[in-house]
Amino acid sequence: MIPLSLNWSLIVKAKAAPAMEPTVTVQRQHAETQYAAELSALAEVDDRQRPPNWKLSPWAVATYLLGGKLDSGAVITPKYIGNRRLIEIAIATLATDRALLLLGVPGTAKTWVSEHLAAAICGDSTLLVQGTAGTAEEAIRYGWNYALLLAKGPSRDALVPSPVMRAMQQGQIARVEELTRIPADVQDTLITILSEKTLPIPELSEEAQAAKGFNVIATANNRDKGVNELSSALKRRFNTVVLPSPASVEEEATIVQQRVTALGRALELPGDVPAIDEIRRIVTIFRELREGKTEDGKTKLKSSSGTLSTAEVISVVTSGRTLAAHFGDGQLKAGDIASSLTGAIVKDPVQDALVWKEYLETVVKERADWKPLYRACRDTM
Amino acid sequence: MADDRVHIFGIRHHGPGSARSLEHALESLAPDCVLIEGPPDAEPVLAQILHEQMQPPVALLVYRPDEPQRAAFFPFAEFSPEWRALRYGLSREIPTQFIDLPQSRQLVDEQPEQLATDVDTNDEVAPDKQLADRDLSRRDPLGLLAEAAGFSDGERWWDWLVESREARSIDVFTAIHEAMTALRTELPPSDDPREERREAHMRSRIRAALKDNFQRIAVVCGAWHAPALTPSRFPSVAQDNAVLAGLPKVKTEAAWCPWTYDRLSFGSGYGAGVVSPAWYELIWKCEEQVGTQWMIRVARLMRERELDTSSAHVIEAVRLAETLAAMRNRPQPGLEELDEAALAIVCGGEPAPMAVIRRRLVIGEKLGAIPEDAPLAPLQRDLAAEQKRLRFPAQAQVKKHDFDLRKPMDLERSQLLHRLNLLNVPWGTTAPRSHGAKGTFHEFWQTEWEPEFAVKLIEASRFGNTVAAAAEGRTADLAKNAESLAELTLLLDHALLANLPRGVEWLTAAIQDRAATNCDVLQLLAAVPALARAARYGNVRQTDAELVLHIVTGLVERIAIGLPGACQSLSDDSAAAMLLQLDHAHPALQSLSVESFLEAWFAALTALVERDATHPLLQGRAANLLHAAQRVDAAEVARWVQLALSPAAPRSAAAAWVEGFLTGSGMMLLHDQKLWSIVSGWVAGLSAEAFVETLPLLRRTFSTFAPAERRNLGELVQRGGGGASALSTESSSIRFNHQRAQRVLPQIAKLLGHPPIQ
Repeated sequence: MIPLSLNWSLIVKAKAAPAMEPTVTVQRQHAETQYAAELSALAEVDDRQRPPNWKLSPWAVATYLLGGKLDSGAVITPKYIGNRRLIEIAIATLATDRALLLLGVPGTAKTWVSEHLAAAICGDSTLLVQGTAGTAEEAIRYGWNYALLLAKGPSRDALVPSPVMRAMQQGQIARVEELTRIPADVQDTLITILSEKTLPIPELSEEAQAAKGFNVIATANNRDKGVNELSSALKRRFNTVVLPSPASVEEEATIVQQRVTALGRALELPGDVPAIDEIRRIVTIFRELREGKTEDGKTKLKSSSGTLSTAEVISVVTSGRTLAAHFGDGQLKAGDIASSLTGAIVKDPVQDALVWKEYLETVVKERADWKPLYRACRDTM
Repeated sequence: MADDRVHIFGIRHHGPGSARSLEHALESLAPDCVLIEGPPDAEPVLAQILHEQMQPPVALLVYRPDEPQRAAFFPFAEFSPEWRALRYGLSREIPTQFIDLPQSRQLVDEQPEQLATDVDTNDEVAPDKQLADRDLSRRDPLGLLAEAAGFSDGERWWDWLVESREARSIDVFTAIHEAMTALRTELPPSDDPREERREAHMRSRIRAALKDNFQRIAVVCGAWHAPALTPSRFPSVAQDNAVLAGLPKVKTEAAWCPWTYDRLSFGSGYGAGVVSPAWYELIWKCEEQVGTQWMIRVARLMRERELDTSSAHVIEAVRLAETLAAMRNRPQPGLEELDEAALAIVCGGEPAPMAVIRRRLVIGEKLGAIPEDAPLAPLQRDLAAEQKRLRFPAQAQVKKHDFDLRKPMDLERSQLLHRLNLLNVPWGTTAPRSHGAKGTFHEFWQTEWEPEFAVKLIEASRFGNTVAAAAEGRTADLAKNAESLAELTLLLDHALLANLPRGVEWLTAAIQDRAATNCDVLQLLAAVPALARAARYGNVRQTDAELVLHIVTGLVERIAIGLPGACQSLSDDSAAAMLLQLDHAHPALQSLSVESFLEAWFAALTALVERDATHPLLQGRAANLLHAAQRVDAAEVARWVQLALSPAAPRSAAAAWVEGFLTGSGMMLLHDQKLWSIVSGWVAGLSAEAFVETLPLLRRTFSTFAPAERRNLGELVQRGGGGASALSTESSSIRFNHQRAQRVLPQIAKLLGHPPIQ
């Protein structure tokens, strides 16, 4: 039993907090708010059959994620740049009422894809359970409002539904982040929900049955240490889609540029978005270290201990851009990215420093137009 | 009027959908004459199709008996429409003919290099997007239309087209005919004269059938040709005759050979083919629920591999495939959707098991069979003839042979086995030298015939139609793809053993080219042993040793120039690699005993020793080789040893030098007193600390000596006290006890019957 005093304080706090108005002051808007215009443009032209309770047809969802130009002239920006088939499989999975498991190394846009899928399908990407080692059953099933529970006994009023339960009741998409971080016994609570589409509430001798349109998108990292492998019973209820690292420098550079632009707008960063050439250079460094060889395939390299994901490239470029805007002349210079670049690559102070130094001396130094970058990085070491 | 009597069925080669519609159409038409696009040369062997031992996939091989390399393959699968039509006609004893331009007219003016294209035209199924548009439309016009309709696969489109119509009859073919007519009017006319000739010939045969008063003539041809074969659109007889006039003619023969799905599939070197034979077979066998059937097979395959796959997986995978197909606006899931569903559900996103699925369920591993009494393919026939001539029958059990290469019969047998090995038909493997028999003229083989060799022979057929020609062709092919010089020289070794003079010629040229541009001395050195062996055995095997010597000359020159440079500033590991090559190349060169090589070689070795920058290990080795070959006098060697071991030299370098110099040659140390004293003096002069440091290196060196040598060396140290005053052979000869020796003499004299010595 959780001590009552704690619960009281929680409730008091919740009451004391003023109701938040969705204003422009939020740091990061939900996908459905940020891309509301695109979603409504799609809904206008979308005359294909929609699965029950879906806001858009599978085709329109795919278009929302992959981008394109509509007949009405509206332009949909691509949210995911990469293999079209993967997104199609993911959407088809959700349409078959099977749950979707997005696997991949960190920074391969798993969460990003899951948020946008939820936003496009049910217009609500907020029904989210963050998986941690401490995630309890209540987070997936339901908890109790202990004050009410004590005052009135078990009743529907005293029951605090989890995001998953809310999604079931409203026929929406629930998202479970980092599924493999959740302890195995808690993971398995999902089995009944996914196969029988119902959530028994033994305290009330009731059950909550899922409305049509309910489904779960889970994400998991397949290269993490200390994870809880899914039981095969649970695994069987998911269709697995593995999101790969971007296939080429061009693709990755496009992703980075697009995200940096969007982030800059959202965070109201001053300065210009760096030129694609500059981004391509950073992407090349990350790819080469990630794959352990140079892009031309001629030189072998040591790889560093970090995952060196696209997400990290994005943060390096963004921080470089901020530095340039506030302390430089607004143009991204080698010096602006050197420190964050080094920080992103050197995760293990001994081993990675060696890898990075070796890379600088053997690869960066040799490339003709990389000289400023080489010097700047040397200075930070 | 003629149009009513001629019914054109435009089909998709190897298309199960086409095959099924064609069967229905033939049933309802009940033709009295069946004309099929195919080589009339095969007429004599057509009847064998009905033989009960005939199991597709099989291929018709049409070749010129005088020049069997000029040949064309016509593969058939169970689901090939032509195969169905042939079976239909022959089993009902309706006149059934192939009407394409005979290969006897086509195999005439072509160069052997064009063989591949020749095969292509009979396999027009590859939806390869890289091909030029017009080429594609000719190869796979239905695929092009299917793509326009949003299908990934012409087969599925065809199925959908056929199945969506209730009447499975001739009107499907009417639709195809119309589509092709439209397609051919849209695209520019073909300027390929061979194409024109083929169509003209087909028309002339249709005219002949009309003249013979057949009432319901079924013409089965690739959809692309359909519009050109409609009687009402025929050009004048004179025009066709003009196209066909003056074509030279050669004699051809036809044979059946077993084929495999793998060879039928796209990626096997025969140009165009079917992408997914096993999948097509499934479409052919199961009329309904192909997707479910396929997924069940996937699940069974996975269980065979001990990967958990339940029926629930199958159900979900089929559902996902169907949803995917719906999302893509396709009426039914195709192989693409099924593949993706299998990956997401059955394999849990792991791509590795998909390779097995691809091999077993998409391409398939089926092997066809032909009747035992069927005529053999030329390569097989040639091998059979050779086996008979050499009295060397193919036997299934393991047999050992000892060939005496001085006997012509044995020599030829050995060459045959070597050639077959080059063709990847490992009938015989060379066995290790057995006890007793010595000399280079002995060769030991172990032979065992396996039935799969029949297929390997067919595969090898593309290189040539006699064993010798095919082996030569394969050699040329391998030579073209060889990556390193060592690979080439090894190949040369094989080619020489297999007695392929032309192959040797190409390889020689290739090696020359490669060696000229190659500046890696290590690779050049590695090439030496095989070449030297080739040059040496040349005489026994009656191969052209002169040729090889010529290459070796070039190689040795390059090595001699490059060696000193290549041996400097090396790491210890690279030095060890270089040492190994030196050790291999040196005896090989010596065995050739050509003075000009040796001179250059020894000059290079001397340069190695003299250069300070050379790695000490190699320096020592070069000194040893020179010393052993007696190319330097003992005093000079002693000077080198002294120089290398002088106190100023770094200890590790000195130890490496000693290692290079002494490894494997303890005898030298035993018998050369001067050397002994220098080495021994050096060891004795080491400080205690330095001695401990160099001990492992020295131990490594001395452990390569034979035990007896080591014991003798030990005795030498004990007696001589380890200093420079070791006992020498001279001093030991002086210390005879003459008196005691003299006492034996009379007895020896008596034994020898010699008068007693005074």
